[in-house]
Amino acid sequence: MIELRDVQKHFGTVHAVRGVSLDVPAGQIVGILGPNGAGKTTTVRMIAGAIPPSSGSVRVSGLDSVRDTIEVRRAIGYLPESAPLYREMKVGDYLAHRAGLQGLRGTARRRAVDSAAEQCHLGEVMRRRTGQLSKGYRQRVGLASVLLHDPKLLILDEPTSGLDPEQIAETRGLIRALAGRRTMLLVSHILPEVERVCDRILLFARGRVQADGPPGTLMGELPGAGRYTVEASSAGSLGASAEMVFGALPGVESVEATPLNESWTRYLIAFAPSAGDQRESIALAARSANLLIRELRPQATTLEDVYLRLMAYAENDPGLSSRAAPAAGAA
Amino acid sequence: MRPVLLIAGRECAAFFRTSAGWVTIALYTLLSGLWIALSTLRPGEPATLRAFFGVSHWILLFVAPAISMRLIAEEKRSGTMEVLMTSPISDWQMVLGKYLGAVGFFLLMLSPSLVYVGLLEALADPEYGPIATGYAGVILVGMLYLSAGLFTSALTENQVVSLLSTIFFFVLLELGVTQGARLAGPPFDRAIYGFSVLLRAGDFAKGIIDTGHVVALLAGSAWFIVLSVAVVESRRWR
Repeated sequence: MIELRDVQKHFGTVHAVRGVSLDVPAGQIVGILGPNGAGKTTTVRMIAGAIPPSSGSVRVSGLDSVRDTIEVRRAIGYLPESAPLYREMKVGDYLAHRAGLQGLRGTARRRAVDSAAEQCHLGEVMRRRTGQLSKGYRQRVGLASVLLHDPKLLILDEPTSGLDPEQIAETRGLIRALAGRRTMLLVSHILPEVERVCDRILLFARGRVQADGPPGTLMGELPGAGRYTVEASSAGSLGASAEMVFGALPGVESVEATPLNESWTRYLIAFAPSAGDQRESIALAARSANLLIRELRPQATTLEDVYLRLMAYAENDPGLSSRAAPAAGAA
Repeated sequence: MRPVLLIAGRECAAFFRTSAGWVTIALYTLLSGLWIALSTLRPGEPATLRAFFGVSHWILLFVAPAISMRLIAEEKRSGTMEVLMTSPISDWQMVLGKYLGAVGFFLLMLSPSLVYVGLLEALADPEYGPIATGYAGVILVGMLYLSAGLFTSALTENQVVSLLSTIFFFVLLELGVTQGARLAGPPFDRAIYGFSVLLRAGDFAKGIIDTGHVVALLAGSAWFIVLSVAVVESRRWR
């Protein structure tokens, strides 16, 4: 559905996007994460046909975003950040206007407006001016406006920016419902949102894709994913200390002990990230050494951990090329 | 053509959805009406609208930029420009639609002045030829001012900057033409006077239709529209 090949974008002396190449197959929901100025919005604007790349190629559904820009824009529903609307227009009039710009006329236009309004639950505000609506409703109007022509590709830039928690939950639910059979690019700062909604994550920093993969893979391959917390007591052990028992397990990289009281100690056991699930081997080792275990749990790795680690990596490596960072998996 | 008309329709309607459009019409009608009342609707005066057309050219120097200042600047300020730039329409269609929307509003703003024609008809026996050419002149001058305002609106996000720069441009043009022609003297002064919008407009008010004036005013409008498209297109490449 989307093909980017060595895409670069300069704004004067600013090198906003540096050699981004990627493929997004149809039906995939891709989250685009990164700090401000990372090149996320510039990249999606190039995909949406708002700006051309300085070099490289951007293709959507096989169409070149520069040469076939009008056709590309027809295939895309792009909602810019903060969902800009004509504030003096009524919701129904605004949607009808946007449908007209998409080339819809007469009955098709009316049906498109009704359908988009229904999908975004706008029935009760259709006669109100967009400038009088709450931010949550304005966001819904923006979402409805990009659905009118039933695009195969939806690009949503920070769709929950500036919303309160209730509105975020509503909008997130709406986005999930809209995804359906469509391909979707979701630019966001809200990591749990991306983690819950997306099949794949692109982490941008300094104009490059620093990591690319499914959320589970990214989190699983991060150092620390193979970490386990064990609370054990050596009171009835057969002589060997718990630290020695756990340290002897195959693939263990380190064991850190933190005494909790006279009998119980908390151990942080780190395996190689590729070691897989080690809970059973830890439990068996403990049983054979007659250690008592009251807690055994893998340490949860969040997307936030991945994000922060990769951002720190990018920060410390100014010469980083478009290769993925070591902790990142490939899609 | 359909996207052009859609954008023009929305743009024109937008003036009436806010107080700005109504206030503009009210001010123009009030000022031109006062001028008519004081200068034309008096015993012994000829049954023409020459005074109305003359003052309109001056009023439009301020009113037309006030109409055009929001055309593109407001889209950029509010972020809706991004929506237009990712809609399946060309930059030409967008700019032309905005211009035609402003021209549509301008024509509606002029329409109350037809009452003056009715008044003349009721009170005297006016000649309709000079009235028709006078209206043609006002419309052509208004279109030129609007196109220049469209261009300055494309250059900035600030409507006031657009308003002031359009007014200053035409005021300086008139001053420059007057002083330049005086300094240059014959035979060059004639060519320099050709740049004066108000001198060309004056002939229309007298009942003269000079093809040169029509072409010059329309070409000026077209030139500013082309420049506006170039500015909008350059946003994609900057």
